[in-house]
Amino acid sequence: MEWRIAWRLFKRELAQGQLVLIVLAITLAVLSVTGLARVSERLQVAINGEAANFIAADRIIDSPVELDPKVLTIADDIGLAHVTNMQFNSMVYSGDKFQLVTVKAVGDGYPLKGDIELSTGITQALPQAGQAWYENRLGGLLNYPKSIELGNSELSLTEEISRLPEGGFNPFASSPVLLIHLNDVAATGIIQPGSRVTYLYQFTGDAQQLVEFEQQAKPLLNNSQRWVDVQSGDSPIASAVQRAERFLLLASLLGIALACAAIGIAAQRYCQRHYDVVAMLKTFGASGKQIRVLFGLHLSLVTILGIALGLIGGLLLDLGITAFLPPEIAAYSPPYLRPVLLGVSTGLISAFMFSAYPLMRLLAIPPLRVLQRQLEGLQLGMWLHLLLSLAAMALLGYLYSRSLALTMTVVLAVMLLGVLLSLLGFVMIRLGHGIGMRTTNPLQLALAGLRRRARQNAVQLVGFSSALVLLLTILALRQDLLNEWQKQLPENAPNYFLVNIAPEDSKPLDDFLTLNHIKATDIYPVVRGRLTHINDEELISRRQSEDGEEGRVGISRELNLTYRDTLPPNNKLLEGQFNQTDDEVSVESGVAERLELKLGDKLTYRIDNQDLSVTVASIRQVQWETLQPNFYMIFTPKALEPFAYTSMASFHLNDQLLAADGSTLTADQVVLQLIRQFPTVSIIDVGAMVGQLRQIIEQVSLSLSLVLALVLLASALVLIAQTEAGMATRQRELAVLRTFGASGWLLRASTGFEFALLGAIAGLLAVIVAEFALYMLKTQVFELVVYMHWPWWGIAPVAGAAIVSTLGVWRCRQLLNKSCSDMLKAG
Amino acid sequence: MSNNSVLNTSAITVTNLNKTVVTQEGELTILNGINIEVKQGDSIAILGPSGSGKSTLLGLLAALDTPTSGEIVLDGVALSGLNEEQKAALRKQKVSFIFQSFMLVDTLTALENVMLPAELAGVTDAKQKARAMLERVGLSHRLNHLPKQLSGGEQQRVAIARAFICEPKVLFADEPTGNLDSVNGDKIADMLFALNQESDTTLVLVTHDLHLAQRCARQLVMESGHLSEPAAEATQRESASDPQLVEAN
Repeated sequence: MEWRIAWRLFKRELAQGQLVLIVLAITLAVLSVTGLARVSERLQVAINGEAANFIAADRIIDSPVELDPKVLTIADDIGLAHVTNMQFNSMVYSGDKFQLVTVKAVGDGYPLKGDIELSTGITQALPQAGQAWYENRLGGLLNYPKSIELGNSELSLTEEISRLPEGGFNPFASSPVLLIHLNDVAATGIIQPGSRVTYLYQFTGDAQQLVEFEQQAKPLLNNSQRWVDVQSGDSPIASAVQRAERFLLLASLLGIALACAAIGIAAQRYCQRHYDVVAMLKTFGASGKQIRVLFGLHLSLVTILGIALGLIGGLLLDLGITAFLPPEIAAYSPPYLRPVLLGVSTGLISAFMFSAYPLMRLLAIPPLRVLQRQLEGLQLGMWLHLLLSLAAMALLGYLYSRSLALTMTVVLAVMLLGVLLSLLGFVMIRLGHGIGMRTTNPLQLALAGLRRRARQNAVQLVGFSSALVLLLTILALRQDLLNEWQKQLPENAPNYFLVNIAPEDSKPLDDFLTLNHIKATDIYPVVRGRLTHINDEELISRRQSEDGEEGRVGISRELNLTYRDTLPPNNKLLEGQFNQTDDEVSVESGVAERLELKLGDKLTYRIDNQDLSVTVASIRQVQWETLQPNFYMIFTPKALEPFAYTSMASFHLNDQLLAADGSTLTADQVVLQLIRQFPTVSIIDVGAMVGQLRQIIEQVSLSLSLVLALVLLASALVLIAQTEAGMATRQRELAVLRTFGASGWLLRASTGFEFALLGAIAGLLAVIVAEFALYMLKTQVFELVVYMHWPWWGIAPVAGAAIVSTLGVWRCRQLLNKSCSDMLKAG
Repeated sequence: MSNNSVLNTSAITVTNLNKTVVTQEGELTILNGINIEVKQGDSIAILGPSGSGKSTLLGLLAALDTPTSGEIVLDGVALSGLNEEQKAALRKQKVSFIFQSFMLVDTLTALENVMLPAELAGVTDAKQKARAMLERVGLSHRLNHLPKQLSGGEQQRVAIARAFICEPKVLFADEPTGNLDSVNGDKIADMLFALNQESDTTLVLVTHDLHLAQRCARQLVMESGHLSEPAAEATQRESASDPQLVEAN
């Protein structure tokens, strides 16, 4: 029988618009979670997919020996596509010219991701047997021969490569690339037992297959085999992608928090509206169980409707946003399951946990209320409500973000807001004693109202200020991230690297660049050296360690060492002081961590058959995504002076530029001139990569703006819900004042002032909490520079006052259009 | 509940009932040593100025509130031994209400409002019964109207229909004509007493309106927490000295 009553109440209340607010709040929570989860998953998949083009696959196993066939069997069983490539260095000959090249021997199916870009356009084909494709600078170095000799084979050079998908970013990969078919390797006779060769096994598949593959295959790898995905290593893409993902998560998290606030406010109104109904039902003998079942069912119906509308809305939102996305991103369509499940659980958890306390109060309404209207029954205190709400928010936040740091930041910010509001509420209540109602002018009336309703106002401020806090936080973070990316990749970010600059070439090269109006970045001298001892303990290679040798594992290859007087731009000192004396070295934080180095450790290097010992004086953080020359080890100039060095630099080259003689040259022509004039200098084009990185950032920026729009929508709903709740407490007073002849103007103005004051206070609180939240987020999650947003301290209170008072006056005007008796009855 | 049953032909027996509340100024006595006996089918009016304790007494008699001390036996059941759930069950079986402010659920139609107590009591043909009740109070043409679409008199008629649908043993009415003009008030009173007689319900009516009170078989006067039962003429005299009662006339 209860379900019939619940259904009837639900149907009627819905038709009469009484459930609009709570249904809308749940809808919004579900909509934003489903929609944002779907959009952000689509973007993540797209970003990862685009980034995967850089490694030409989703996963790579990089191995010095042939891979255990079991691994490939696993890949086949799971259904992953894979291709085997080999990479080795060798000399190529053409007449009397020879050049060291990196030979990439690729199997059918290469590349799994991305395209090979030839001078003649994009291709899906591969070199035929007996053919080789060459990187453009190899052509310049060998004077564009028709064919070359590689080991025992003679290969005809048929195509010029502009860019390979796994361009990778290693300025020291100084030898040009020669692309051949894997089947041609044996004929060259180059690969003998013990040859230095890298096998690259590339894999691609969907997310689930990749996870499965990782779980099964990774344990089979030994220490010399490296597992590579788009986010591993110091890829410039990785950190941009990770930050963007975290931002999307945070934005969605804040969206959830906002929607939860809206649900909290709406749930309170929902329950208050039913106080009389419950009292009446109890009077007519309804048992506690009947009332629990009835309202449990009623709230479930409300929740189901909210969830259903939210899911539809979320999927429509995704469709809408997808329509605006570039087709290559829109083409990615991750499964619907997770967004839908997240949406449904958000609806259920938020609706029930945020309603729990109001519902408990509702169910405890004593029947005597039918005679004594002021009775409200249970007064467990707000702490229980706050505890439940925080628990719900934390649970949802963690469920969604799976990041404790993010979740805790949001929860801590909410708690700070709570403390500030309690203090403020206390002060307002103290001030409110002995204040009567003054009806002479609207400002006095507003002030009196503000103080008399201190308790309700403190509750209202929760809604107003939380909406503003989240809005400010997301606005600031979005701006900071965009600025940060912009800073890392300015318009004139280097798109060419010059390496292997001989000391005698430095001056002529500098002249060449000046002549062509090209401004190079700092020139870094490079000395090759091997780290041999840490604190006099001899280091062993990883392979030796695997073979059972005892000892500390070092870096098996030669390092590029540089020297400078000052800390390079884009580097940040984490510990110690930058080199003060000549026996000191500054170490990059990632390497320091890998080698377990600390300040004061003694490092010994072998350079040109001499030993050099220095102590670790500082540990630096390097921003790999800046595309500037970066180094693991930086010495003082004096320390490396005795050793032979080459230099490296990077510069930006526009597509068109003015030559010394006044004619216009293309970038390619300039590069060609440079290659001809300085044949020993290696030039590396990273322009395509910069372009792709920029494109990714633009896509992410777009998503940030979309997310911002959603958060704005959620904030608006919270503000409206809170105004609605606020007007309910004022309705009776307005009705009485109106009945006694107060003019509409006086009432609107006083309501406007009161709401403006509330809005201003909320704005101020919001700035305080937002600064705190931003501090936490930037230091704990995003690794961004912390600074205060001073203009906000003025703007937020003013904007808060303007928005909230406008909403208040608008609702007040609606109320005043009713007759006094209607208002009194409704109040 | 059988333990609480007392062999009694009375509908309500009240013995030495007291109600005190604690306020900021100290303990306040609202009801002081009340004793009443109301026979089955009888009708009584409780008169008295505002704040005299009439509504508190009504709340206690109807098992909506708990006394500080004393005993109430409602249709043979002693209330003191009952918990809230048992009291609710008792109200469902034996008691009904009419309020000054009608207390209709404003989102439900007239018919649905009347059905509500019957459905709570598990009556299977609640809809037919509610329709019949609304017909009896002359609202068969208003079945699907919401309370806000009805006049005050009509809303109270819906409330009367709702009160009688479960054929209560005792009907408590709190100022049933208090929100109505005299013409509508009289109509409502006529309807209330007619239905009361037809269904042999015991009526306990709290009112300021002496005219309405005099339609009851007995009139009790509440003053400062004390209840007395003066003769009918004395009631009239007393009421003349109470401006609220005079006004109500």
